[in-house]
Amino acid sequence: MGILENRFQDNVVVAKLDKLIGWARSTSPWYFQFGLACCAIEMMAAAASRHDLERLGMMPRSSPRQADVMIVAGTVTMKMALRVKKLYEQMADPKYVIAMGSCATSGGPYWQHGYHVLKGVDIVVPVDVYVPGCPPRPEALIEGLLKLQEKILDERPLTRKMA
Amino acid sequence: MSPDQEKLIAELVEKGLSGDMDPINAIEDRVLRSKAKSALAKAKRASKAEAASAPVEEKSTEENDTDTTPSDHPNQKFGKMIHNKFPNSLDAELNDTHIQLKPDDWFEIASWLKSEPSLHFDSLQCHTGMDVGENMLEARYNLHSMTHDHKIEIRIAVSRDKANIPSIEQIWRIGDWFERETYDMFGIFFDGHRDHRRMLLPEDWEGYPLRKDYVVQETYHGIIIPKVKEGWE
Repeated sequence: MGILENRFQDNVVVAKLDKLIGWARSTSPWYFQFGLACCAIEMMAAAASRHDLERLGMMPRSSPRQADVMIVAGTVTMKMALRVKKLYEQMADPKYVIAMGSCATSGGPYWQHGYHVLKGVDIVVPVDVYVPGCPPRPEALIEGLLKLQEKILDERPLTRKMA
Repeated sequence: MSPDQEKLIAELVEKGLSGDMDPINAIEDRVLRSKAKSALAKAKRASKAEAASAPVEEKSTEENDTDTTPSDHPNQKFGKMIHNKFPNSLDAELNDTHIQLKPDDWFEIASWLKSEPSLHFDSLQCHTGMDVGENMLEARYNLHSMTHDHKIEIRIAVSRDKANIPSIEQIWRIGDWFERETYDMFGIFFDGHRDHRRMLLPEDWEGYPLRKDYVVQETYHGIIIPKVKEGWE
């Protein structure tokens, strides 16, 4: 910061725009509010006052248009898989997906005999963070969200990607 | 407890059983007295149980002897009423567990079961299907009457080639979703159902999963459905 140093008053912060955007995005990942099975109960517990996701800047949104993060909380059936895919496509970029619980990551208890269960939501949408557990405790989900925040912080949205 | 005390207690219990409580009450040692009393109570209980169990055994043998008389179980009683009202509707001998009916007159029988004042089956408690093997599917109905507090089970077997049963959805409205689920899982068609669609699986799903010969389709809208791995069980 050689040439810029000490040129501005105290309340002006100089930063890279890349980092600034990453910081802004990572501290307000609004999530898409929908649950598919028992994991949704843990997600609700994580959002409620004891664990309070809003302290991470996470706010539930009821429309995919307003959401940044999709938490796939629960068993994804074949019937729902098409809908999950459609909802993901309706989200605006940048968008992230968290596969919460063993059903969403691998099919869980239905991994062998559930003819109607999708064996992992990553078959239909790209997943950023997998949270194991059946269902995961709110703390585990929060750790997954913190991992996602780290991932978003490391992104360089303005830097041209080298081939 | 010393052997002397045990002997004493045994004597006291014997006296107590014959009705003489004075020797027990006369014991000055409180611990010994309470021990004697508890032993007496135990002995009394044992003798009572013995007395109670003996006549029961006699009764059960009696019942076996009179097995040939017709039972008054609701399934028998109401099965006979159905038979009198709708001849040729029964599909098998009457028994205590269920009434086996033919599918043909089922709608008329069902409306009569509900409207007949002495039966008044106003609630369809459960309806489900079953693959009974030998190319047969079965629909089962558990009926209950709130007014008379009696219940029966109706079973209707149909072959896979012609799995059609009249719908009772307009008689018991709860049957709407019940029948849709049975159709979804077993492929039994309910003629006259006003909303005859699959209940749980997607509309374009192939096959009926709870049939014993069900084979899972290979893909669903491009998603591969993995096969059950060989050798895992």
